[in-house]
Amino acid sequence: MTSTATPAWLLDSEVGLCPCGCIGTRKKANLVDKTIAGSASLLRRAMFADDTSAQPGLLQRVDPRIKVLSLVGLLVVTSLVHHIPVLLAMYLATLPLAVASRLSLRFFVKRVWLFIPIFTGVIVLPAMFSFITHGHIVVPLGHWFGHRVGLTSQGLRSAGLIVIRVATSISLVVLLTLTTPWVELLAALRALRVPRMFVLVTGMAYRYLFHLLDSVTDMYTARKSRMVGRETDVVAGRAFVGASAGAMFGKAHALSEEVYSAMIARGYNGNARTMNRFRLGVQDLVWVTACLAAAVVVLGWDHAIGR
Amino acid sequence: MQSVADPILVVDGVSYSYLDKFPALVDVSLTVRRGEKVALLGANGCGKSTLLKVLDGLVFPDAGSYHAFGTAVTEQHLEDQQFSEGFRSRVGFVFQNSDAQVFSSNVRDEIAFGPLNMAMPLDQVKRRVDDTLEMLDIADIADRAPYQLSGGQKKRVAIASVLVMNPEVLIFDEPTAALDPRTQHWLMELIVELNRAGKTIVLATHDLATLETLADRCAVFSEDHRIIADGTPEDILADRRLLLSVNLIHDDDPMHEHPHMLIP
Amino acid sequence: MHIPDGYLSPATCATFYGASVPVWLTAGRRVKKVVRNRYVPLVAIGAAYSFLVMMFNVPIPDGTTAHAVGGVLIAVLLGPWAAVIAVSIALLIQALFFGDGGVLAYGANCFNMAIVMPVVGYAVYRAVSRHVSLTSTRRAVAAGLGGYIGLNIAALCAAVEFGLQPTLFKAADGTPLYAPFHLSQTIPTMALAHLTVAGGVEFVLTAGVIAYLQRANLPIMRINHGSVAETDAELELTRKPGWRWAVVGLGTMIVLTPLGLIAPGGAFGEAAPADLNLHKYGLSAVPSGLRHYAGFWHNAFFSGYDFSNDKHPVVGYLLSAGVGILTIGVAILAIFAAVRVLRSRGPRRPDLVEVRS
Repeated sequence: MTSTATPAWLLDSEVGLCPCGCIGTRKKANLVDKTIAGSASLLRRAMFADDTSAQPGLLQRVDPRIKVLSLVGLLVVTSLVHHIPVLLAMYLATLPLAVASRLSLRFFVKRVWLFIPIFTGVIVLPAMFSFITHGHIVVPLGHWFGHRVGLTSQGLRSAGLIVIRVATSISLVVLLTLTTPWVELLAALRALRVPRMFVLVTGMAYRYLFHLLDSVTDMYTARKSRMVGRETDVVAGRAFVGASAGAMFGKAHALSEEVYSAMIARGYNGNARTMNRFRLGVQDLVWVTACLAAAVVVLGWDHAIGR
Repeated sequence: MQSVADPILVVDGVSYSYLDKFPALVDVSLTVRRGEKVALLGANGCGKSTLLKVLDGLVFPDAGSYHAFGTAVTEQHLEDQQFSEGFRSRVGFVFQNSDAQVFSSNVRDEIAFGPLNMAMPLDQVKRRVDDTLEMLDIADIADRAPYQLSGGQKKRVAIASVLVMNPEVLIFDEPTAALDPRTQHWLMELIVELNRAGKTIVLATHDLATLETLADRCAVFSEDHRIIADGTPEDILADRRLLLSVNLIHDDDPMHEHPHMLIP
Repeated sequence: MHIPDGYLSPATCATFYGASVPVWLTAGRRVKKVVRNRYVPLVAIGAAYSFLVMMFNVPIPDGTTAHAVGGVLIAVLLGPWAAVIAVSIALLIQALFFGDGGVLAYGANCFNMAIVMPVVGYAVYRAVSRHVSLTSTRRAVAAGLGGYIGLNIAALCAAVEFGLQPTLFKAADGTPLYAPFHLSQTIPTMALAHLTVAGGVEFVLTAGVIAYLQRANLPIMRINHGSVAETDAELELTRKPGWRWAVVGLGTMIVLTPLGLIAPGGAFGEAAPADLNLHKYGLSAVPSGLRHYAGFWHNAFFSGYDFSNDKHPVVGYLLSAGVGILTIGVAILAIFAAVRVLRSRGPRRPDLVEVRS
């Protein structure tokens, strides 16, 4: 299979972060354009991951089962660390891994740090102040009713901890997802004793996600082609969202019935049977040893600094 | 080995309605013999797809009976593991919508789905999957996800996922619909070839141009969900009044005297 | 509301995985029993739909747009148990593939958005739409209301999860090791955001979709509303008076739930931006809430263990968090049991019926 690399700038448009929309940027964009852009960006991200996971890099060579286990292990280690220098070292260690796995360093760093200011940065900023985190004031900012206020050492450390921990965690997950084809990730979950039914459903959900995405894009493009100028009527806009999401459900359900027929026609009787095709190699052993060593060093160092 | 004239699928006086309200089949009878190529002809919504689903044991008639290979195909019989495995491996269904048929997360898993359900040993499944990939010339896309496939490739994968079970009867719903001319041509050749190799073919179509290649017998559906004619493609195509009455052609349609022969 | 990794302590994450697993297993069993072999395609495409619902932008009055979560919508369409699994899988794809929401925090995210939200929202929907025909406007409003309340309770859960972190997990010098805000700060903040904008968006989407399906695709409503009368006229024929009070009671309980949970937030006595406790500035004091909680355990169930001298406060808090989660879980199951008992007295209305095709 030949794959054309998707240039990183294709992913620059909008960071698709917390889709619940409670926190994050709310651009003044029209709902139709925004939804179309959202669908396109989803597909682009999937295509990008397909490209990167097909590269001949370091992590691409590791058995997906081992990769899932080791990266989840490292995530746990990250969450156990209590000191900024240790976390910082862990974060820095992800960078050469990314490079060795043929990920663009610029993209890798950006993907992580674009997330931080939007979600974490905004939340953590107030935590540095003595209002929120009590402690020794290191940067006094004046007085309030006779009490000193300012940035506390505890607040600063807490903010630093959370920012670097989030950055390291995201880096680890990005390393996993960008170096493992989705299919192998699913197969790895299956091999790791996640119930087959659950994996089957997840695989199918992912597959039809893109199919239904096409319908969404079609509906919104059709709407756009009929619109003159900007959509300003909020009520009509809401009615359209209700109708399009409703129509989508109709389509999704009809599709699920068709898929059901197609499964039954090929002898499906409620038992998920699958093929496993992994074999462990020397590189896997090396990788596991390296991860274990890293975990021991990190946790030992963290304990040595103190709790 | 049984004779060529041996009836293998027998539908007798079958009626079926969706949601008990909308009739799709009204008193339909059809016999498919071993080695035949039978086309179900009719306008959209006449019931031909429903009949295909009856033939594949996906829906069960409200009235009438359906026998395959001498045994009645009913919901209860298909609950039986052994009967179900036998029937499902002998009758293969290529759906019109490849997107519904290609539901696994990659091509290889998709093709392996049927044989795995038949509880075939793993190494045999692997061998068969590889052979099928080779045969349909899709080995290069074996590890791709469905959303990376073109419409024609999806159709090939859908067909591969059925052929891998080596069925005796192959059912195609609108096989040539929405395909580019090249894939269309390839598929027609494949159907003819499979038939030569001894497979029984049943297909639904409203494409008169491909009829003479794809069928040696046609059953024509009226718009009130009955079969009103059964004969050779030549006879059916010559009967302009019949085709007009079932809305397969319209008044100012220049009648295909000689339907396009895509396969010489 | 997708919590990333790094905000919650590993202990919290483990707790929520622990709380979610039994619900997933129960949900899987329940759905499979009703839809049998249809399970895989129905739930899979339900999950894909649930993922995509989060992509529909709803216009809000200031000229911008926002997303909904859609957990209650899925529950109304497919039934609450199918919704639990569908939304969980949508969240898994988001966490593993698109990096939205953490991997360790996945259990907590599922607990909030895939379990609490659809279950609570669906209970509200059932309570409000009881004895209402399938095409009634009140049914759409009930769904919207379910979405609104479900989302807010889910947000409250997230706020509690965040808010417990600085009290439970801190370094020797008082530095919060994970999310730094206290309950008295997280609850009002999340409540403000979700009672206004996000809740409204959830209402609009949920009610809008149901209203559309009532007009344009009523048969699809039958997936989860097997034998509900279609029109008000039909409904009159089957109307049976009776246990309405029980439903009102259940509804009131659900609506009052957040009040009960908000109350202890105030009792922590921590400094809130709006309610400054001036005596504490510059002091690295042990939060008074800590003592309060430790005392609570001391007085209540665990008097044999000495949690009150601040020596093992973390253990005490972990216990309290665990028991709290257990209580919520038991309450959810109890609500389901109650609904089932009520239903078995009335005409049979299965959660999921096999759709005739």
